[in-house]
Amino acid sequence: MSIQNAPSETSVFVAEGMTKTFPGVTALEDVRLSLSKGSIHALLGENGAGKSTLIKAITGVHRLDSGRMMLNGQLFEPTDTRDAISRGIGVVHQERNLIPRFSIGENIFLESLNAHPLRRIDYNKLFRDARVWLEMLGVDADPAMPVHRLSVAKTQLVEIAKALSLNSRILLLDEPTAALTPHETDTLFKILRQLRDDGVSLMFVSHKLEEVQEICDRVTVLRDGKNACESQPLEGLDRQAIVRLMIGRNEQIPDWSARDRSTGKALLQLKNVSTSLGHKEIDLSVHKGEIVGLYGLVGAGRSELAKSILGKFQVTGGEVLVNGSRAEIHSVADAVRRYRIGYVSEDRKSEGLVLMHSVLENVGMPIWRRLAGLAHFLTNGKIRKHTEPYIRKLEVRTPSLEQHVGNLSGGNQQKVSVAKWLAAEVQILIIDEPSVGIDIKTKAYLHELIRELSDNGTALLLITSDMPEMITLADHIVVMNDYRIMGEIDNTRDYDTMSERIMTLIQGEELVAAE
Amino acid sequence: MSGTGKEQSVGIPPAEQASGARLTTLRILLSNEFGLLVLIVLFAIIFSTISPAFLSKFSLYALGRTSAVNIMIGFSMMVVIITGGLNLSVGSIGVCAAMFGGLLMQAFAMPWPLAVCGGLAMGAALGALNGFIIVRSGLHSFIITLATMSIFFGVMIFLTRAESYRDISPAFTSFGRMKLAGIISPLLLVSVVAGILLSVLFRYTALGREMLATGANERAAELSGIRVHRIITYCHLLSGVLAGVAGLMLVSRTGAAIPSMAGQLGQDWLLPAFLGPVLGGTLLTGGRVSVLGTFLGSFLVTMLTTGLLLMQVGAFWMQTYLGLLLLAAVLIDMVRRSYLTRRKLI
Ligand SMILES: Nc1ncnc2c1ncn2[C@@H]1O[C@H](COP(=O)(O)OP(=O)(O)OP(=O)(O)O)[C@@H](O)[C@H]1O
Ligand SMILES: [Mg+2]
Repeated sequence: MSIQNAPSETSVFVAEGMTKTFPGVTALEDVRLSLSKGSIHALLGENGAGKSTLIKAITGVHRLDSGRMMLNGQLFEPTDTRDAISRGIGVVHQERNLIPRFSIGENIFLESLNAHPLRRIDYNKLFRDARVWLEMLGVDADPAMPVHRLSVAKTQLVEIAKALSLNSRILLLDEPTAALTPHETDTLFKILRQLRDDGVSLMFVSHKLEEVQEICDRVTVLRDGKNACESQPLEGLDRQAIVRLMIGRNEQIPDWSARDRSTGKALLQLKNVSTSLGHKEIDLSVHKGEIVGLYGLVGAGRSELAKSILGKFQVTGGEVLVNGSRAEIHSVADAVRRYRIGYVSEDRKSEGLVLMHSVLENVGMPIWRRLAGLAHFLTNGKIRKHTEPYIRKLEVRTPSLEQHVGNLSGGNQQKVSVAKWLAAEVQILIIDEPSVGIDIKTKAYLHELIRELSDNGTALLLITSDMPEMITLADHIVVMNDYRIMGEIDNTRDYDTMSERIMTLIQGEELVAAE
Repeated sequence: MSGTGKEQSVGIPPAEQASGARLTTLRILLSNEFGLLVLIVLFAIIFSTISPAFLSKFSLYALGRTSAVNIMIGFSMMVVIITGGLNLSVGSIGVCAAMFGGLLMQAFAMPWPLAVCGGLAMGAALGALNGFIIVRSGLHSFIITLATMSIFFGVMIFLTRAESYRDISPAFTSFGRMKLAGIISPLLLVSVVAGILLSVLFRYTALGREMLATGANERAAELSGIRVHRIITYCHLLSGVLAGVAGLMLVSRTGAAIPSMAGQLGQDWLLPAFLGPVLGGTLLTGGRVSVLGTFLGSFLVTMLTTGLLLMQVGAFWMQTYLGLLLLAAVLIDMVRRSYLTRRKLI
């Protein structure tokens, strides 16, 4: 076997014949790759194509079944993650790996904390150093704050800070931007470009092709664990060419026209609602068959509002109406069972899924009671019948429905987390960042499903930081900032004017505040 | 055209099915339950070679009868372990339930089925109380049940003045002394039935699945509409009932309800309570259960105890051996797990 793109002198890392199998799954098969100095290398592929497995093999999390990796011309066989770090390889994994009860500062410097077990930790210095990284990434948070109090996006940024603080020569980023808004992504990209200019080799995984085209110079595409292309220059490849490499055909772009669903019955209404978390004067209504989008920057309080509607946090003022009458929601169970409100969490790992249970068990959770009925008797067959259509439609890649969800690829976990609520047949569904980590092909299917759901009369409240997604799906867009509603607009589905109007609504407030 | 992805999604392609079958066999061979079965056979051979009395009719009968109680104690702990908690008051509750049943039979001359129900209701009430305090306070069950262990036991001693009830309905005691087919104790059948019911609970009911989901990830369970606090309380209630069954089994066997039947504060039950589930592969952090494993685990422990007694090992050593066994079980389990992971079987 010969390497086609012979590694040039600047190649700091070369791998060939990488093969890795899991029970029932071949995650990587004879994969080749080379990273060069001062470059940002895109690693692309559908969900379950093997991207994360490849990164885990390089960083010593998984051991390859066969294959060879060379680092700076020397054979590289990492025994564990420590080993990889000490050889100058930094990584941001797709899943969060921070210690929830530790402070931001401690988490960022966890590796160096371990170095001298008996030495006293100088917390002042630690927090000072941490603040430098946080400011660089534009995170507004106290380094002494425990990580579990942070939002998903900020946790992601802390994870990135942690990797940056190691000053590695090779930096592997597995979907670092999945949970970020364009604003934070821009800040991150500035840093990445700086690193590239300093000669660091970066690898970047993302399902957002605009980002890839913006920042990467080379690309490797994986398809079913095999190379669809290897370390190819990105120049000259347009979006459709990349998509063809990934999924074997062109992307389908839905052409959905604007529609007005606000004439239907209002299924969910918030009137002058305030919450214990600090929301004020929230007015919002979602009609039967309507998709209302809730847009805002990270920290605008959208997920928090969703959880307040759900009864997880307290509504302290105003009223919540479901189906036209005042709803008494004291717990999430009330919301789900009495009022048939569902919530797809943005945080699949800790709130959306039970990772140690099977796919089937996860998708069935909200409907167990209903399916069991008065007899209280439940079989897998019954659950399968109700949930399998959604699992199929979203193409969840798994050797079987009995597979533990924790063993699926990140994007496939996300599909399960969404499928669970699509199958639940609720009358009001709040969807929080549904397509985080989902590949472009499935994203189109997901959008179809969401659209179908609304056509069948479900009222949907869509929270997403993905502007194109918002403009594709929403009928009506409500803009939030700082726990308040800034304004609302009907979606014309014209991307440029809509995105501009949304951004002015958000920034309008900032200008006023600055004065 | 889009077929490439579809084959891999959900349904298993035929080529993988064959290797899947092989994997399944391997997985069964390396499973906890199978390992326990091997150990049980192994020790049975060892004991019967050293002391032929081990295989005598009476010895086997006694083994079945004793293990029946231990299995029930194991179940009682198991249903709380699955929530990621534990119940240190199993012994205390068991004795309280037994004493209450005894009281009803002796002082109120109730027919035994009613008295048994009364005893179980007592177990349920105390278990539910544990659960209620735990979810209300938000404290770990370790602390709460450590406290209630003393409280339940103390109050029971105070109310009964530490006296036994020996006027137990003969029909009830004869149940515990009956021999089916010469060697099988009906008590063992009770445990088998309880095991089957628990398996059904966890496999075929919404309630059982909700218990496991709550144990595995409470937040996710809550956001799926599961009333997690109620579920945790139910688990403790069930634990109380099962502890009560174990206590009443002892009464039926010995013909008396004795305050010290599970030792001071009911502590004698703790080791068997943990040994069964842990040997059986119920995860201490919650979310996974093996009813059969607990059954076999508790049986193995009882068999070791009986065997060692036959070999005239002193009672103090017995505790040491059981402690070592618990430690060994956990270590072996770790090795087994890492083997499975390395061979990519789980
Ligand atoms: N620990 C594991 N046990 C079993 N199978 C696994 C394990 N880790 C990954 N897999 C399987 O290997 C395949 C590749 O997974 P991987 O996580 O590398 O995909 P990915 O390209 O990162 O996808 P995504 O875009 O969804 O993150 C998937 O089919 C997945 O189910
Ligand atoms: Mg991945």
